[in-house]
Amino acid sequence: MKRARLLLAVSLAILAPAFSLCAWDAQALLDVLPTATLVQEPWVPGDPWVQSETTELTAQAALSHTQAILEGLSVSGTLWGMADSLPSQSPMSTPSTKIDLQSRILELKLVWEAIPGTLIWDAGKKVIHPSSGFFRTPLNVISHGALGNTANLTGSAVGTWEEGWVGTDLTLLVGSFTIASFLSPRLQWSGDADRALQYVSTQQTDYQDLTRVDVRLGSADVRLLGLLSTGGPGSADPDLRFTAGAGLDTNIGDAVTVRAEVSAASSQNRVMVTSSQVQLSTSTQAVAWAPRALAGFTWTNQDQLSVMAEYYYNGLGFIGNDYAQVISYSQTLRGTSGADTDVLDQFGDFSAAQHYGFVRVSGKIDDKLTAAAWSTVNLQDFSGLTGIVLTLTYDKWTLNASLMNAWGNTDTEAGLSPLLWKADLEASLFL
Amino acid sequence: MRTIRCVVMTVAALFAMTIGLYAESPQELLARVDARRYVPDLSFVMQMTSFDGEKQVDSNTLWGFINGVGSANRSLIAFTDPASVRGRRMLMDGNIVYLLFPKTTNPIRLSPLQVLMGQASNGDVVRTGFSQDYDVSSLTETDRNGVRCYLFSLAVKEGRRDASYRKVTLWVEKDSLRPAYAEFSTGDKLLKQATYSDYRTALGKDLPFSVDIHDGDNPQKHTVMAYVKVGQKPVPDTVFRRDYLPSWVPEQPR
Repeated sequence: MKRARLLLAVSLAILAPAFSLCAWDAQALLDVLPTATLVQEPWVPGDPWVQSETTELTAQAALSHTQAILEGLSVSGTLWGMADSLPSQSPMSTPSTKIDLQSRILELKLVWEAIPGTLIWDAGKKVIHPSSGFFRTPLNVISHGALGNTANLTGSAVGTWEEGWVGTDLTLLVGSFTIASFLSPRLQWSGDADRALQYVSTQQTDYQDLTRVDVRLGSADVRLLGLLSTGGPGSADPDLRFTAGAGLDTNIGDAVTVRAEVSAASSQNRVMVTSSQVQLSTSTQAVAWAPRALAGFTWTNQDQLSVMAEYYYNGLGFIGNDYAQVISYSQTLRGTSGADTDVLDQFGDFSAAQHYGFVRVSGKIDDKLTAAAWSTVNLQDFSGLTGIVLTLTYDKWTLNASLMNAWGNTDTEAGLSPLLWKADLEASLFL
Repeated sequence: MRTIRCVVMTVAALFAMTIGLYAESPQELLARVDARRYVPDLSFVMQMTSFDGEKQVDSNTLWGFINGVGSANRSLIAFTDPASVRGRRMLMDGNIVYLLFPKTTNPIRLSPLQVLMGQASNGDVVRTGFSQDYDVSSLTETDRNGVRCYLFSLAVKEGRRDASYRKVTLWVEKDSLRPAYAEFSTGDKLLKQATYSDYRTALGKDLPFSVDIHDGDNPQKHTVMAYVKVGQKPVPDTVFRRDYLPSWVPEQPR
């Protein structure tokens, strides 16, 4: 009798996962990206920059799987690969092999709900995105950035694919509180090993401990986070750094969602311009605390028209005379052979100033077709990026057409960007 | 003597039943209508198919579970088909709604109106427990398709102003207490018309396995929501948190 009971229990345990999600998902993307940039032939210094148009072709694929092993225990992962015909996006610096191949394990983790819905432990590789921001994400304090080459064509800071971090995460959900702690070790290997492992994973230069606390207050969700990171003894950067952040998501009435978040990172560096005249020179400045903040809302009407607006403050960016120096330096840099430090893009594309605004209008044209128009504006010199996106969606595939344009005079951030415009025709197949 | 006693008892019983019938207020009757359909901790697989006239424009398969009734209910929903939306997960906790796209880990907050205008809003109509959210303004009787029905006019309760629909007109078959048809509106504007059908006994309740929901503005546009499978899955309250969405592994009812 005992044996029969045991057999029944084992049979049920084996059958249990059959009711759970056990699926392979695959997505393949083909992108054609005509791009216009300003280039200067390196062997003719001082010559004016000229417009050059290139067409980049990329094929990307991702394979995902989630497998329930036992009740409350599952494993999931995503593998991504890309073949890129022109990763530099410039005809002046083509890759030696013409085709650049990349691949990564984006996520691979074992998840165990030790107490269902209450205590969750996972280990492996995972992406952690606490931010609710669309065009900037101050709370995404550990982020590798978007993979692939079509990021930002929709105005979004988060791309379709991103590589996660190897570590272990413990989440406790009690009442209105969630407390989670993610520990990530330093993972480094030799240059020889990296020639093979670069197709699997990026190295992790720091130990990281990210703690998140979430609490529901009425209809608002409030999030607090703290990140401790260090390269540890023996590393090139052994300093201990701390980042703190807080965020809020809520509704106002039936039609508006609101989000606000702020983070501040200790011990940051930025490159300052000390001379932008005949002799270009820069120096590194230590910044004790670098705050970043975002506030935004999304309004939707009954015809499914949606308007999103966000404001972003970049405490590490430049303003006033410092900003004027950066612009002046970048103008001078344009006329040289270009070997000096790129101060304008040191924090990423279109992030040199302190104040930015973003607006996006989107809506449904019919049951299959959606359209969106967006604009990011540097609120200090009123230059910007503008884009339109059309998306046609069917059951197993989507067709996406987008165009992004940079606008502004040559004494503005966008006007100094080599990028003039970029288009993307993307076919995506889901299996 | 025995006969007299029997007659007296029968009359007394009938009198008591009559008193009982008339003692039940319209609100209590509405609660009884709800109780016949309400399954606590309902888990389901649902096919949601949208039409424009006769033409099918969209079809989704959802796995999920619902906890609670009326606007106080909470649900977790996973899109499993078609492939282009597979992996999306949605949390609906009253007016708090989060949508998690596959390959991202931060759920996006949606406004009640975004949900109301989207196809997922039809879940409101399927899940609505009327007596929790609405007061009966009037109760009359009428015929609908040759069947005698109670006709309830419902107005949202003062404390439930966040409910999706301000007014509901509900036709309930008198004999079976099965909702047959309902009109949902925000004030003066008709938003949805729902026809309940394919009643089956499942989990000890009388469930409409199919609800056909027509758009109030354009009745040519309609969505058929049909249960493929139902079951019960008790879950702790904490799963209805946005932080649980990325860890949730959806499963079918057993």
